[in-house]
Amino acid sequence: MTVSLRINGSSYRFSGDPMTPLVDVLRSERFLTGTKAVCREGFCGACTVDIDGQAVMSCLKPVGLLDGAIVASIESMATGDGPLHSLQAAFLAADVVQCGMCFPGMIMSLSQFLRENPSATRTEVKAAMVGNICRCTGYERIIDAIMEFLAMPKEGPVNG
Amino acid sequence: MDDVSATVMDLPRRDARDKLRGRTKYTNDRTSPDMLHAVLLRSNLPSGRIVRLDVSAALVCPGVLGIATGLDAPGNYGIGIADHPLFATDVIRYNGEPIAAIAAETEAEARAALAAIILELEPLAPILTMAEALAPGARLLHEDWRSYDVLSEGGARAGNIAWEAKSVRGDVDAAFARDDVTIIESCFTVGRQSHVPFEPRVAIGSWEDGRAHIEASTQVPWTVRNVTGRVMQLPPGRVRVTVPPVGGAFGLKFDASIEPIAALLARMTGRKVLIENSRQEEMATCLCRENAEITIRSALTADGEIVGREAVVLMDCGAYGGEQIFLTTMTSHTLGGSYRLGAVRLVSRAVYTNTPPNGAFRACNGVYNGFALERHTDEICAALDIDPLEFRKRNVLGNGDLGPTGQVFEGSVLRPMLERMEVLRATTGTVEEKADGRLYGRATTVGTWFIFVGPSAATINLNADGSATLVTSGVEIGSGTMMQSLPQIVAGQLGLRPEQVVVREADTDAAGLDAGVGGGRTTVSIGAASIGASAEVREKLLRTASEMLQTAPEKLALREGRVEIVDRPGSGISIPTVVAHAQATTGPISGTGSFTAKNTPAMSGCAMGHFIDALDIPVFVVHEAEVAVDADTGHVEVLAYRVVQDVGRALNRRAIMGQIQGGVVQGLGYALHEEITITDDGRIAQDSFETYRLPLAQDVVPVVADLYEGAPSMGPLGTKGAGEVPILAVGSAIACAVARAIGKPVSQLPLTPPRVLRLIHDREPAPVHPHIAASWAANTLG
Amino acid sequence: MFDNRDRSLIVAGSIEEALAAVGRGATILAGGTWLMRDPRRGRPLPGALVSLHKLAGFNTVDIEADRIVIGAAVSHQELGRSLAGIAGLEAVVAAAASAANPAVRRVATIGGNLCTQDFSAADLVPALLAVEATVELQGVDGTLVIPFSSFLADRKRLLADMMLSKVFLRRDILASAHARLPLRRAGDYPVAIVSLALSADGKICAAVGSVEDVGRRWTALEEAFAAQPSGRPADAKSAEALAVESNDFHGRDGIEADGWYRRQVLPTLVRRSMSVLLNREVGR
Repeated sequence: MTVSLRINGSSYRFSGDPMTPLVDVLRSERFLTGTKAVCREGFCGACTVDIDGQAVMSCLKPVGLLDGAIVASIESMATGDGPLHSLQAAFLAADVVQCGMCFPGMIMSLSQFLRENPSATRTEVKAAMVGNICRCTGYERIIDAIMEFLAMPKEGPVNG
Repeated sequence: MDDVSATVMDLPRRDARDKLRGRTKYTNDRTSPDMLHAVLLRSNLPSGRIVRLDVSAALVCPGVLGIATGLDAPGNYGIGIADHPLFATDVIRYNGEPIAAIAAETEAEARAALAAIILELEPLAPILTMAEALAPGARLLHEDWRSYDVLSEGGARAGNIAWEAKSVRGDVDAAFARDDVTIIESCFTVGRQSHVPFEPRVAIGSWEDGRAHIEASTQVPWTVRNVTGRVMQLPPGRVRVTVPPVGGAFGLKFDASIEPIAALLARMTGRKVLIENSRQEEMATCLCRENAEITIRSALTADGEIVGREAVVLMDCGAYGGEQIFLTTMTSHTLGGSYRLGAVRLVSRAVYTNTPPNGAFRACNGVYNGFALERHTDEICAALDIDPLEFRKRNVLGNGDLGPTGQVFEGSVLRPMLERMEVLRATTGTVEEKADGRLYGRATTVGTWFIFVGPSAATINLNADGSATLVTSGVEIGSGTMMQSLPQIVAGQLGLRPEQVVVREADTDAAGLDAGVGGGRTTVSIGAASIGASAEVREKLLRTASEMLQTAPEKLALREGRVEIVDRPGSGISIPTVVAHAQATTGPISGTGSFTAKNTPAMSGCAMGHFIDALDIPVFVVHEAEVAVDADTGHVEVLAYRVVQDVGRALNRRAIMGQIQGGVVQGLGYALHEEITITDDGRIAQDSFETYRLPLAQDVVPVVADLYEGAPSMGPLGTKGAGEVPILAVGSAIACAVARAIGKPVSQLPLTPPRVLRLIHDREPAPVHPHIAASWAANTLG
Repeated sequence: MFDNRDRSLIVAGSIEEALAAVGRGATILAGGTWLMRDPRRGRPLPGALVSLHKLAGFNTVDIEADRIVIGAAVSHQELGRSLAGIAGLEAVVAAAASAANPAVRRVATIGGNLCTQDFSAADLVPALLAVEATVELQGVDGTLVIPFSSFLADRKRLLADMMLSKVFLRRDILASAHARLPLRRAGDYPVAIVSLALSADGKICAAVGSVEDVGRRWTALEEAFAAQPSGRPADAKSAEALAVESNDFHGRDGIEADGWYRRQVLPTLVRRSMSVLLNREVGR
């Protein structure tokens, strides 16, 4: 089966098994290794990407359903030597990263949620993160950084 | 304490930006299309004999370029004894044990070829529990145990007892025979805990100029190097291991595992080979924190003096001894630690079973020994009607007290830390009202662990542009030491800014021996080696500068990138100028340092079969938990959690707080959610994220911590490692708090809702260990 | 695993095309969140699949005067959002909005969830039973509209040659409530679920999920409620007491909890959902 989609702004034509998970297309075919395949069951969120404006777990998304889709992965959030996305900058400023494997998925998952819920409370943020697991940090300091991020006035990407 | 005035504190980590952008290349991101993919044929029986193994049909399957079996890697490896083959050869000892490895152009072709391997197994009745393994006449899991190479002398072994360590100090029989004592006995059972690092075990092997090069996600590049050389029976120096950033480890990667297989297949095929555990394999064959069975008995006077204590700890090592062989040592220092004891005798046995081998997980058996000890302590307090906090303040080890192996402890640390916890609690207040109709409990518990000191080496090259390159075998596993403490320390020693210190990724061809990253040792051991290297660099710099400035070296200091005359800021010359001069006259400036254990003495004759007789650097914790228990469903909510941690000196408070929050949450997983059971066919039943319940964002609370500084430490600048120990007392704090909330004894973890509800309804059977003899001595090999 | 270049995936443009594909042996691909995990479970993926997400009427939630019409390809998230605030359907909203995690809810469909026969912990099952939903199935021989409970009892046979196309909800329910019990705060499959619904005629329907292999109505409890003075329990506590007496469930043993536990917590879940139900009723 052949499908045509856009990945991080570039056209890409996939030809092969339609049930290939998008995460494997990204990592093995496009060398976009920022998206991580960790649980492959839809529990951990490390594989989260944006498809047509929605945060989606790419380990469970067959590429055969993506004809015409617009996919954005973590690599699109900050390009070249340019500035970080403001959520990335917030995490950087709070120095919360540890092993780092969960963060791309966290950022892709949270950026949609925070866009849609700019007044989220701490409780609401925790509920939104049920599908993003972190084994290193114990979450609370990530959430502290998110609450700080929400409290900041927004003027576009910050050069962190 | 050492002067840290020149050391930048709280340095942000330099690898965060790339990790946030998804640019960091972990080992499993470094694949290339020309790599072969390896998959393992794993046993699906827990025990049996291999009657026939024929890979010839698989060798001609499409895309297959090589297949390795035990015939290609005949050596055994291990810790203490070499009992572990890379592949099962004649005997299968656990469900999931590797039997063969196929390397093919694609993963799909490798997997397809698995079906063509002819494997005939004759099942043997599996021994799945330690009780069965210790039963008289039980089948031997290792028939040739006597013939195994002993890598460390002194342990007692026999049959299915892989290793036995015991310590005896004083006359315990006399203590128990006193007529003024009450004897309290407690019995505990704990299950395994699985690390679940986000990056699974993975390695890329290649064969370069007649040597193996393994790029692997590991905490122990030198162990991988040595094990690979051993199992492949290579001449010395033929293995190189390099380590990219690691996506989490927590001890799972503190041993060699599948990495040598990548090297083996690379030599066989002449190609680069990737081997990566699928998540199911990773969880099914995890080198878990072991399951264990503990009995502990103490003799107490009426006013709460512990005149005698004895304990038996059975540790399930699974099919092969692994880390549990070493960890038998730590029972003395943990279950026998923390409290002042009159007489004490402890025995800890690592027992073989036909289950996946266990290994090291953050604070290892310190976690469950602490659980057992603190619950036992609470039972003592209940029996004697003594306040649990007063009992602890009175009885915790202090300056001059003897540990279980007779070592003399320096400094009173635990008691002041208990007092600091009281101050902390007064500051935060308690939150009983949040229980809101549920059963409320609060408990304060103590714990002792250690910093795993051991050999480390460091080299520093000083460059003419004013930067320094630090070369060690240290690995960044996520805790941040390689990114923060180490450049902070080196920069502070050399008058540089941390950004000017380049930290080279681990390469066993570049740096000297290192025992590995873990065990809280990185800041201490690699830091100490780095300070040694810095001292040599400083000496050379000052000697050169001394000639240039015509000033004695004692009058010179390194400050802000310059060699200055002491007390004259801005004087002297810049470091680059000195380096350039040295390079032209005496040669480039570099220094080396090394570090290893001090080997603190124990009391002679106390410790038998111990790898570490006494702790060079003990580390202490005090934890406090407030919980609410739903009496209708058994759910436990943690309302508040406080920590006082003995850090020696805090070089990076923010990073330490990050480790405390993360470590406590892993501990909450151990105490409340992460249950592992073994199926009838010897498998770990919870081998997926669906069935193994990790704490999620809604299951945690912010941990409030007070960092206790100033306890004696031989670590650099007075530091103790802070990354491992935050998990140590969570099991005990939660267990004691829940026991108080529900008014029932807690003898098993995890406290899942079904277990708690059974306890409330008196449906949870108390653990009994009939295979642990009532007489202590009957549980030893003599 | 994912290397079968001969595998076909058809995105059906019409019901006829979809039914023809199913007739030829294709498996329906809904959201994919269950099917895509089969390789992990050691089950190979089907060689032929058909997706229904482009079919007319499958993606929409239509709120009509006397009923709600839900297409089988509607996601959990979409269902929760569409029904939010509609009196009486709170249990369905809660089931849709709390299952799994946010990313899975965005993709997992109602149809996929209800047709997964080996998933005992589905939240929507007891919720739809309690509100006495009906379902529409489409086959080559025509359309069938049956009570959801009948569909549940005969799923395997019906789905052999028909597809679930719609779910219908009544609009004469006054209030409903959904009490689910995961072992963590959220994010895992609930070990027991109670859904209650109060209809305009004063009858309370009760349904239980995850305790037995397949969810069902708690008929014994409904009868005990109806036998009370004024046809219903006076308050949540007496509802709980009636649940203790009427507990005829045989709890299933599962890896996360045994049958004793699932059964044991049911009266508590009845109390909790009844408390919410009575508050909602008062709030109308």
